[in-house]
Amino acid sequence: MALAYKLIPLFLAWAGAVMVLGRGFPGRRPMVAVAGSAGYAGGLAATFLLVRFLPGDLPFGIIKDAVGAGIILMWGVSVAAVYRSTGRDVPLPWGERFAHTRLGAGICALATGILVGAICACRFTGADASVPVFLLLVLAAVVLACAVLAAERFFFSSLTMYPSGMTVALVAFLLLSSSSILRLDLFSPLTMKVMKFAHDFVHQFFESMLIPDHFFFNSFTWDFIGFFFGKQVGFWGALIIWFVPVLLVALAVNLVRLPAVAHIRQGAQRRKMLAAAIRERRSRLVVPALAAVIFAAAVYQSRFPSVEYWDPKPVSVTASPSGEIFIPKKGEIDLEDEKLHKYLFKQGGREARFFVLMAPSGQWTVDLDACAICKPDGYGQAEGAVLCYYCRTLIPLDTVGKPGGCNPVPVPFTAKDDGIHIDGLTLINRWGETVQATTRIKETGK
Amino acid sequence: MAANIIETSGLTRSYGDICALKPLDLRVAEGEWLSVMGHSGSGKSTLLNIMGGLDRPSGGSLRVGEEDLLALTEDGLARFRRDYVGIIFQQHHLVPYLSAVENVMLAQYFHSVPDEAEARSALERVGLGHRLKNRPGELSGGEQQRVCIARAIINSPKLLLGDEPTGNLDHKSTLMIMELLRELRAEERFTVIMVTHNQEVATWGDRTIYLDDGVLVREERNEQGES
Repeated sequence: MALAYKLIPLFLAWAGAVMVLGRGFPGRRPMVAVAGSAGYAGGLAATFLLVRFLPGDLPFGIIKDAVGAGIILMWGVSVAAVYRSTGRDVPLPWGERFAHTRLGAGICALATGILVGAICACRFTGADASVPVFLLLVLAAVVLACAVLAAERFFFSSLTMYPSGMTVALVAFLLLSSSSILRLDLFSPLTMKVMKFAHDFVHQFFESMLIPDHFFFNSFTWDFIGFFFGKQVGFWGALIIWFVPVLLVALAVNLVRLPAVAHIRQGAQRRKMLAAAIRERRSRLVVPALAAVIFAAAVYQSRFPSVEYWDPKPVSVTASPSGEIFIPKKGEIDLEDEKLHKYLFKQGGREARFFVLMAPSGQWTVDLDACAICKPDGYGQAEGAVLCYYCRTLIPLDTVGKPGGCNPVPVPFTAKDDGIHIDGLTLINRWGETVQATTRIKETGK
Repeated sequence: MAANIIETSGLTRSYGDICALKPLDLRVAEGEWLSVMGHSGSGKSTLLNIMGGLDRPSGGSLRVGEEDLLALTEDGLARFRRDYVGIIFQQHHLVPYLSAVENVMLAQYFHSVPDEAEARSALERVGLGHRLKNRPGELSGGEQQRVCIARAIINSPKLLLGDEPTGNLDHKSTLMIMELLRELRAEERFTVIMVTHNQEVATWGDRTIYLDDGVLVREERNEQGES
């Protein structure tokens, strides 16, 4: 039941993509249905096999890159649409002819089907990726595609599809489905990239002394400069990168000139022609408007994923007189369940939050519940990875324990047969060195 | 011989037990000016409303141009009225808080898009070039009716319907309006169907039909209209 609930955005995206393709290639519905369904089955099967036989996150990376390429394509198409709408007509006779052939429609539907199928397969991991599941999913996708294409002809006849609108709409549906899966989500990594870019940009200014470290820059000034280090910059920057192509397509629709009517003698006829052109322009704006709504839904899914994180409440621990913290492997908490277990250690008015984790490889790791670059919002665990709550970066379980980036800061420990031994003072000091420093950076920007 | 723009066969309209229009066979040629006369309650306005797509008949058939009005949906009827018909009412039905030119532009708006220059030109054609910015309350009855005519012709209708357009006007204004309609018809070549009580006004048409209790009782050609 829970899985069926999680499949809703995936099938919604599939239905939407088929609807867009059906409207974009009128008269080619059978080709869209066949090629799209074949692509879906192919993408699903290939991903099942890749996930089974390729190690780690590589299959997810491939799919993520493909969806990312879709975003780049969307940018290119939207910029070209604006360029063409200003009257500088770019002759693309071969491309336009090809897009209107059966082969063109088929390739477009096939590529979309492969991507949607591949994204859908990522929802199933391990034993879930079985032959019956594959057959069931393909059957559901084919039935849905046929139903949508049958219903499409009754759906708002005034809603016209055009190349740039179709691209934006298809990418929007791909992002809607991929953002529902943590390891395929593109928005959160994009916010990180933007945030790091802004951070590095400001940093370069300091390095080149364009912003001198001078008493003139008091704490009030630093509050503003600190804005460029914050999470909000990443969020808004990523939003701009996502939504600008949609706005460009809408702009292109608005920039297209109305037909020349001055030669029509009869006023009513002239106005009717103008009204028809204006009506068509308005109906064309519906596509980018809908795409914007779908993008917003994808962003919402990315920020508030329907994933239940494993995030246990920290258990208080104390150190022995020699300063050692001991956590038994078996006891009230089973440390060998491949889940992170959080603890809170207090000593002399100072405290440190950390977790113990046994990775699927059997490797033990003890880490601070914070990283060296983000505010100490802590980590949760889901879908074979831990996630930094602050920047929403996913860290595969096998790499937890390695230092750097947004990985949790590792803490020295000794794993013995009975349990995990940690030096309390080292733990407290490491917390102080890293976590308090990042808090100051994030809050003051200095 | 011009083709028929209107053809009715066995056209009826009933309101409950009351039969306002009894089976009517009528043909109106393209470009013809048809006057419809009869006493009150004889079915003149009912016939006019049905031909203009404002009302639906109870039975029979009605073709206006290429359109079978009985087969049209509500949306189809609205499109038909927008593209085919211009109507002049006895009571003007101008929007009181809009100026003359804005009243004409309102008809353009519902048809396609407003064009002020064209609306001004239409008002100038009916002799109201100096009253463009006046509201209906600031115009005489004859002037208001001329605004109505400008509004009715602005969308180049094929069919101009008049429901006693001179009913509220004095003799001089009536003559002015009729003369104006004749000139416009000569230029625009639309078909006119005009309901009137006034025998003199009826003679401006090419033909007059007489209705009595929903039945077409008489029909005559008018020499003045044909001239």
